[in-house]
Amino acid sequence: MTTTETLRRRVQLWFGPQHPGITGNMSVQAWLEGDTLTQGITHVGYLHRAFEKLMERRKFIQSFPIVCRICVPEPDTNEYLLAAALEELSGLDREVPEKALWIRTLVLEMSRLAAMLQVLGGHVGSMGLGVVPNWTYTLRDYVLDRFEELTGARVYHMYTVFGGVRRDLPEGFAERMETEVLAKIEAKLPVIDNAIFDSSVFRKRAIGVGVVPEEWADEMGISGPVVRAMGIPRDTRKDFPYLKYPELDFEVVTTTGSDIYARAWIRRQEIAQSVDLIRQILRRMPTEGPYCAKLPNMLTWTIPPGQTYVRAEASRGEMGYYVVTDGSDKMRRVHVRGPSYVHGVSLLERLIPGTNIADLSPLMVSLQTCPPEIER
Amino acid sequence: MKTIIDDIRARFSVEWEHEQRADLAQIGVAPGTVVPLLTWMKLHTPFVQLNHLSVVDWLEDGEFQLTYLLTDPHGHRSLMVCTRIPREEATMESVHELWPQAVTYEQEINEMFGIHFPGSPRQGVPFILEGWDDLPPMRRDFDTVAYMHAHHPSRPGREHVDPRVYVGKVFGERGYLHDDD
Repeated sequence: MTTTETLRRRVQLWFGPQHPGITGNMSVQAWLEGDTLTQGITHVGYLHRAFEKLMERRKFIQSFPIVCRICVPEPDTNEYLLAAALEELSGLDREVPEKALWIRTLVLEMSRLAAMLQVLGGHVGSMGLGVVPNWTYTLRDYVLDRFEELTGARVYHMYTVFGGVRRDLPEGFAERMETEVLAKIEAKLPVIDNAIFDSSVFRKRAIGVGVVPEEWADEMGISGPVVRAMGIPRDTRKDFPYLKYPELDFEVVTTTGSDIYARAWIRRQEIAQSVDLIRQILRRMPTEGPYCAKLPNMLTWTIPPGQTYVRAEASRGEMGYYVVTDGSDKMRRVHVRGPSYVHGVSLLERLIPGTNIADLSPLMVSLQTCPPEIER
Repeated sequence: MKTIIDDIRARFSVEWEHEQRADLAQIGVAPGTVVPLLTWMKLHTPFVQLNHLSVVDWLEDGEFQLTYLLTDPHGHRSLMVCTRIPREEATMESVHELWPQAVTYEQEINEMFGIHFPGSPRQGVPFILEGWDDLPPMRRDFDTVAYMHAHHPSRPGREHVDPRVYVGKVFGERGYLHDDD
């Protein structure tokens, strides 16, 4: 066997689940020749907790502590979608107070902001530039401080309930949000821009890497920053309006390139957009009025038979809940459709062949895979 | 949504229809109609995206319901195509030739409900579970408690220690309890 043939031998490598470059509890079974990946298969199941099965056996209200665990960095989308689906099927959606709709919009946007700060740091952290994640995680912590003030919890909020939210905004919340979070984020963004988008290391490793062809967008149902980085203005907040988003002034951020750099750039722009949206929401939110509708007895509440699919724009893309009720006090079926189900399995596996082994981690971060929403 | 359902009715047999929202309609068709219908929709209508594929277990009826959610990404509307198949030896035609991501859905459904999709590439390949040899766990007749007792025998509970007694034993009758404070 010649030296060249030896180097070209196909080697199998498990990338994860114990690997600092993997996005959560999953792994990629990869085959490589030299340092080029020839094939990859996504493996999940490391934190399967049978959430969907559990929810079939619980009363509706008991599902809130479960759904928030479907995505750790961004739990609120799950809480909202569960509430929205069951409110729609029960007819309770017509009774959700105006103020609750604004607070839910605020919470979803705060959640998107926190998750995007985390993943923007991850973009460069996965390439070894560790200082930027320190900044972005700190900024994310400021958002979590406000979540703690609002909901009593930093990560799993369990704040959205049927008919509205659990409590009103504390006094002075808007001012603290401005001075303690939004102003600090805005002040830091130029420095982050400089460290990421002006960095020759990041540019060399991100431009032209992990390119997703535009024709895959419809074929595979790609959404979120991944589809917007192709130049396609697709955003659930605009396309399937919900809550108070139709009343807010914002444009869908797009760019071209469809590579890791483009996806990072989209997230950077959407952080600024989220800051602006949170300001708009706090400015326009009514100060008076109820924050939750009068609810039926949650121990005996039944919902008529029906099925629906509701969706919202998470930081990763379209998040959907398919819910079926049968007239009883429990869901017949709840099926969570997270964007990672497509991005982290089918799309990632199609992108892997030809990728350099060192680029696998940045590629996965750029797809923003969240394993618990794959295995629910 | 009325137009697309009328178009479908002109070509295929539709068992029922329901408009859930202005942007979401639902139709029910026979199992044999599903793949021809979805193929026609992908090739000749704006409903080109498969957003979701799900299963509902109607145990009391002896049937599984398969739900395909198709979306028109430019018209911003979705159509739910539902069909029912018998639970016994449940088999359904695959749609992975139409949408590559359907492979993952069909793999998971095969594992969790035991529905077979002949020709789909990863049938029988574990997705979430590992070494599973019982009834597919998302079926409603799967007894989770019995499975748990069979595979995870209960361990004896911890010995209970009353803190008051423990502190009294270590620090004396009054100890640090400050009962009279």
